[in-house]
Formats: sequence, C-alpha cells, structure tokens
Amino acid sequence: MAFNGNFMCTSFKKELLYGVHDFDNSSGDTFKIALYTNSATFTAATTAYTTGNEVSGTGYTAGGGALTNVDPTSSGTTALTDFVDETFSNATITARGALIYNTTPNTTSITVSNPTVVVLDFGADKASTSGDFTIVFPTPDASNAIIRIA
Amino acid sequence: MSFPALDMNPDFKVEVHTTHNRGFTPEEIAERCATKIISISDSANPAIQAQAHAFRQHMVKVLEFYMHEAIKSDRTTVYNAILDSGNPELAELIRRL
Repeated sequence: MAFNGNFMCTSFKKELLYGVHDFDNSSGDTFKIALYTNSATFTAATTAYTTGNEVSGTGYTAGGGALTNVDPTSSGTTALTDFVDETFSNATITARGALIYNTTPNTTSITVSNPTVVVLDFGADKASTSGDFTIVFPTPDASNAIIRIA
Repeated sequence: MSFPALDMNPDFKVEVHTTHNRGFTPEEIAERCATKIISISDSANPAIQAQAHAFRQHMVKVLEFYMHEAIKSDRTTVYNAILDSGNPELAELIRRL
C-alpha cells in the first residue's frame, strides 16, 4: 500500500486517441490535482479520480485544486504540454502523491467520470503547516515535460 | 536516453515545496521563477553553461527585487483598505510587517 513511481495512465493514452482531453489554456478542459496519503495505491492502470485515501486538512478541499493549462506546443518532433505550478495556501496537510484528472472530458466516446491523466509520486511524505504547499512541475521541454508525445 | 514515445521520462520528478507557519519568501519564489524561465542543459558547452548560470543568478536578483517591490506596494494597498474600514490598529500592524 504505497505510491510506487510516476505513471501516465494507460486509459489516458487511449482517451487521447478518442479526443477526450483538451489542454488548451483558454478553451480547454478543467484539470485538477488531488493529493493522497501513502495508503493510496495508484498505478498506470488507474482510470479515474477517487476520494479513497485523499488527504484532508486546513486549506485543502476534497477534489483538490484546479490547474491552469499551458497551451500545447512542440519542440523538434516532440509535442508537449504543461501546467502552471499549483499552490495550496495556508494549508496544513501531508501528502505522498497526487492524481491529475480531467473534470470536463469529452464524453462522446467514454463513460468514466473524472478520467485520470497521470499519477505523481512525491518520493516521500511532504507536509506544510499553516503554510504553502506547492507542486512544481518540471521544465516544459521535449525531455522533461509532464505530458510529451515524441 | 530513449524512452517510450508517449510516457513519462524515467527521470521524471515533480517537486513539492512547502513552508511551515509562513509563506514563501521572495528569494524562494525568485529561484523557482528563474528555473522556469531558464533551463541549462548539462550537455551544453562548459563556457556556455557558465555564462548561462551567471545570467540566471542575475535574473534571480532582478526577480527578487521586483517581488519585494510588489509586496511593499500591495501592503500599502492593504494598509489603506484596512484603514478605510476603520481599523487603524490592524492597519498599523500590517504596515509594520
């Protein structure tokens, strides 16, 4: 029962082919990041947001925080997109990892609600006490972006 | 390094920065901001790397300065808003922060 690495969800890859997700900054879908304790067991087979083992505490609301999409772009032959760093302010929480999921997917071809995009493993419990809890996404380049298609 | 075309880089790492009983300082945010603006390749020519690192450090200082300016300016706005609402003692506490 623990986080075991970062995963791009297999269902997400399939959903890309169905046109389920739109990462446009101004008109795209609403993606959220939910935080979890180390009791959560997420893998590449995770398909949807769940409330099980989600963290609770001051400054955090179930479901997590809405992310700001960064318009998809390309670098060489690699397409990529990113999210703006997310901060939970005045928060007293402890989290070991997170799920990014889509709250407004195109449901023409899928039936699942809140489909997941990626599983994030923080590597260790991270805690804030009456402070800021910030998730810093990696450099959005062809090698490091959180979502990249090479 | 090669890795699957549609998957996360094996070296992928999301960072989490936290604080206890305070917010982030302008210096901490400036470092993060500079990292977003400037990425320096480990495989770049050493001379170019050194130049890039020097430029990045300069950017950090500039960002720190303007973040301090923004905070001071916002605090003035907050001070006046609280003063206008009839709470001069609280306004003074904000001003002294």
